[in-house]
Amino acid sequence: MKGSDTEVNLAVSLAENFYKIQDDFSIAITGGGSGLGIASLLNREADIANSSRPLNADEDSMLKARGIKIRTVVFAEDATAFVVQKKFAIDSIDVETLTKILSGQIKTWKNITGLDIPVNIYGRQSNSGTHSFVSKKLNVSFSREAKEMNGNAQILEGVRMDVSGIGYVGAGYILQGGGGQDIKVLKIAEMPGGTAVSPLDEKAILERRYYFQRPLYQFIAASSWNKVAAFIAFEKSLAGQKIIKASGYYIIPEN
Amino acid sequence: MKLLVRERMDNISKLIFRTTGLLVILILGGIFIMLLWNTIAFFIKVKPFDFITSTQWNPSSITATYGILPLLVSTTLVTIGAMLIAIPLGIGTAAFLSDYAGKRLKNILKPVIEMLAAVPSVAIGFLGIVVLGPGIAQLTGQSNGLNALNGAILLSIMSLPTIITVTEDALHGVPDTYREASYGVGASKWQTLLKVTIPAAAPGILAAVMLGVGRAIGETMTVLMATGNASAFPKDFFHSVRTITATIAIEMGEVPYQTTHYYALFAIAAVLFLITLVVNLVGEHYVNKYRKYQAA
Repeated sequence: MKGSDTEVNLAVSLAENFYKIQDDFSIAITGGGSGLGIASLLNREADIANSSRPLNADEDSMLKARGIKIRTVVFAEDATAFVVQKKFAIDSIDVETLTKILSGQIKTWKNITGLDIPVNIYGRQSNSGTHSFVSKKLNVSFSREAKEMNGNAQILEGVRMDVSGIGYVGAGYILQGGGGQDIKVLKIAEMPGGTAVSPLDEKAILERRYYFQRPLYQFIAASSWNKVAAFIAFEKSLAGQKIIKASGYYIIPEN
Repeated sequence: MKLLVRERMDNISKLIFRTTGLLVILILGGIFIMLLWNTIAFFIKVKPFDFITSTQWNPSSITATYGILPLLVSTTLVTIGAMLIAIPLGIGTAAFLSDYAGKRLKNILKPVIEMLAAVPSVAIGFLGIVVLGPGIAQLTGQSNGLNALNGAILLSIMSLPTIITVTEDALHGVPDTYREASYGVGASKWQTLLKVTIPAAAPGILAAVMLGVGRAIGETMTVLMATGNASAFPKDFFHSVRTITATIAIEMGEVPYQTTHYYALFAIAAVLFLITLVVNLVGEHYVNKYRKYQAA
């Protein structure tokens, strides 16, 4: 199993618990980003590709061209949280302003918080699913001044130290206590003046009201389905869902 | 009979060593050809002129631009900064080790310095994020310290062991008769070091610097973690930069095979390879020159 860094911790704890009930099962899990996972699926180096985004057109056509059939499983729902320092003047932000900040149109915080200091964006690198998710969701390309960090921990470390910093990380990471005391999670309003929703609000996520939420996918090579079916069943079981929730993700019941 | 066995042993070992030697050359040649091949594929799609003059590296936008200039400037900025710190510090330490330090102190200091080379680059990069970055931010009154200066300081630490060890060897290699002659005409220890020993060891010191530069240019993980990796054209030392190595590390994992972007990464890798090759050749040249001079 290869792919999304967002999902790798979750997948590992799922696998560890699965071993307890079925010890003849063996699975190797690595991260590296959704793109890498799907590429591994293409090159037949992985049975399962974890991905925090759907397949893009290129990948879809390459899979077809190479005759690899896949089955798709949605096993959890992830939300992306926008974080700032605890002392930050505002608690919520609307999507339009956020778009302008991330694309570099707004260069200082003056009109937003009153402080005349330049905006510092802490983001992920382009091989991260979170990076492409935020950029596609807002339909912007990130400001060229945006810093590209190596992972959630580094982004939070950067924001923690920086009064002018704004960063984005998986909400699961914060729910698990990765945020610490000095971090504030911004509420997001879809329209200026609209109701702002926090990614830590479970009810809102279940109703899909938070703007930056997305399903987490597992793409499974159809030829490997029998090999992994037991594991997938475990993910859907009560015990599996408990682990998913404990890891800071949400489960939206299929209907 | 015994002779026959021994001759056979000799022949077999000769064959083994020849094979290993050739294998290394073969691997190097293979890497070089792969780089060259992909670079040519890149230049079929993108004009070399655009590659050199464009001021933007932005392969993922719709109108992709592949300008190496910002990356090259980033790498240069970080490397020059590192050398500005590491050269005086390295030569000073080496001079102390070879001419001032007592034998006991030297026996402690040398292994300690060499141990510095064994610290993993990830650990040094982490220090850059949690200690050096906030430190720089506080000292300079900026909001954050993930910039070229941070990378330069960390790289200077990483290239120090190389510079110190090679410089110390060079200084140590200057025949004692030089120093004795200098003392004989009434020069102090400091004057001797500055006017006699260091100039006499200059080729060796230059080699040390070149090897240090090579170390700094090729480093990936530390700069990837500590310099912020913003893709905008770098303005100064307090600006976030994205070096050639960091760009390859970030983008290679995701790029689809055999696209222009994929070839572009090989092209910048080839540029990096050429730079390091030249730097190392210059370094080697001076090392050899200095050896000849030693033998005479």
